[in-house]
Amino acid sequence: MPPRKEDFSFQRKLEQEIELWLKEGILLPDQKERILERYRLLKRADEKAGPGKLATTISILGSILVGVGVILFIASNWSAIPNWGRLFIVFFSMLASYGLGFYLRYEAKNYPKVGASLILLGSLIFGTGMFLIAQIYHITVHYPNGPLLWGLFVLPLAYLLRFKSLISLAILVLLIWLGMEAHLRTSHYSYLETVTMVPLFFMAGVTLWGIGLMHREWKSLRIISTPYILIGSLITFFTGYILTFNLYGLRFESDALLIYYPGIAVLFLVAMIIRCLPEGKEKGWIPETLGLVILMAIVIYLALFFPKASPMSLRGDLRLFFNILFALEIVGLITLGFIRRYPIYVNIGLLFFALDVVARYFDVFWGLLPRSLFFILGGLLLLFGGIILERKRRKILASFNIKEADE
Amino acid sequence: MRKKFILLVLLQVALLVGIIAYRQYWVATGDKVLLKTAPVDPRDIFRGDYIHLRYDISTLDLNGLGVKESFKSNEKVYVILEKNPEGVFSAKSVSKELPAGKKFIQGRVQHEMPSSRWEVVLKDDSENLHELKPQGFWNVKRGDRITFCLDERGNILIFYKEGADYKPKCRRGQSLSGIIEEIKEIKTRTLHVEYGIESYFVEEGKGRAIESSRDARELRVKVSLRKDGKGIITALLVDGKLVR
Repeated sequence: MPPRKEDFSFQRKLEQEIELWLKEGILLPDQKERILERYRLLKRADEKAGPGKLATTISILGSILVGVGVILFIASNWSAIPNWGRLFIVFFSMLASYGLGFYLRYEAKNYPKVGASLILLGSLIFGTGMFLIAQIYHITVHYPNGPLLWGLFVLPLAYLLRFKSLISLAILVLLIWLGMEAHLRTSHYSYLETVTMVPLFFMAGVTLWGIGLMHREWKSLRIISTPYILIGSLITFFTGYILTFNLYGLRFESDALLIYYPGIAVLFLVAMIIRCLPEGKEKGWIPETLGLVILMAIVIYLALFFPKASPMSLRGDLRLFFNILFALEIVGLITLGFIRRYPIYVNIGLLFFALDVVARYFDVFWGLLPRSLFFILGGLLLLFGGIILERKRRKILASFNIKEADE
Repeated sequence: MRKKFILLVLLQVALLVGIIAYRQYWVATGDKVLLKTAPVDPRDIFRGDYIHLRYDISTLDLNGLGVKESFKSNEKVYVILEKNPEGVFSAKSVSKELPAGKKFIQGRVQHEMPSSRWEVVLKDDSENLHELKPQGFWNVKRGDRITFCLDERGNILIFYKEGADYKPKCRRGQSLSGIIEEIKEIKTRTLHVEYGIESYFVEEGKGRAIESSRDARELRVKVSLRKDGKGIITALLVDGKLVR
């Protein structure tokens, strides 16, 4: 039988224990090797049986398809189904997938991954059902409330079950809420620029990242820290990437968005403080925490004072500043990924490194080179860059592959 | 674990049931009013399967209503309603405070802007005088020869000056040409208000049919008003017939 995930954590503990046993003379070095070899064999067998992630991915995709199907069925038979029929379909399919999912995962325990996906399906039907009910009854009061309620009601379930999929769903719909709410709020202000949202989402990204790190330091929440860290760092880097372009003739501050900043800042601070509390933190936690605090401070400056209260001399230079900052962020992230053997950081760092190289290549050489040469050189640069990056990435990941399997 | 799971799922069910119950309570206890819709800029009528609605009360002539106050964007306002003999409600006044003892609907100001409306007298070729009220009548002076295109109810669809480069054809109505005898521009302030009842969900493909018949037929909307004046659509009526 291939080992389950729990077996790997058992193996890790076993390795630590064996060291102790060896010191105390309970075991001989030869016995230690034999015991460890036994578990390595189990691991190899598991690798051959195919990754469990595939089953999870396929059943999650299945859930999404069924969810979409239920909604489409109601939409395309709108006049044929009376109101109570539409409601029945929503409630029945939601409760059935929750119930069956719970049964398969926790009671029968024979299809835990499919069970988890069915519970995700239940949450998807819950959210879309809310929009459907709003349509049936023509409730048009304040649209952003939909995703807000969806996120807030899925979150407790996600924490109870410790599902990455449910946490991701809740984070994504809450981000949609933030976008809708901010858009609605700013649409009343005539001077709104598209970039005004960039600091808001930068802050949201850094905050999610911080919340993820807080989860990572607490053993019981560690398993659901990944969606926060992944989504948070992706948003942070994406908005950071936008800031490397020539946007500093536009406005970043907006009175309309002021209301969101204190809330986000408080959430971020609380996450950072709680993160610092537990004993035995990860390697490199001090520069990481400090880095996030600095990023937050910079983006708050941008959101509050640019261009309103920043000196003329600063305005043109900000682009250079944000380019240097972005490069530092990338280097910092990849370094942290190395120190901590954390593949997410390495992958995101390398991805944005590549994007940054492409953008700066366009900036610098577009006007200087003849077009044909520009494209040929650019293409070659990308091809070779791709090969080097891919090889480097594989090497890095392989170097801590053993550790990764334990996560 | 099992109990907590059931509890959290029941909370979700309770939210959905709560939304339905709240809406039913709103409709059951609210004041019912009938509102007349106004034509919509045809470029943004469709948003998926929604009909985009505008009402006569979506644009208010502040001077005409005798309102001296000015309004800021996004400000909450209460529009006091009055029933006309046909049973349709129209705006009587606007106020920033909750009006007591009157029927009113709550809305939010989009913007207030200065505007003009015109009253024009035209003498046709048989020397008959016609009074017309075009919406925009810039760059026209007394003595100009103008051709109007009018629909069957006498509303102006388009008009153009003689000698203009572009002369649109009057396909749907009847042409009226003549010399402008009098132009009166009445300057006023227009308040654009949104009430949260600007869209109505219909079955796939049905929206277009309702929209295209809107010019010819009358589209009215039944609204139920909460105590604070917030409205919710309960029915759509095309020529008095209920649309499902």
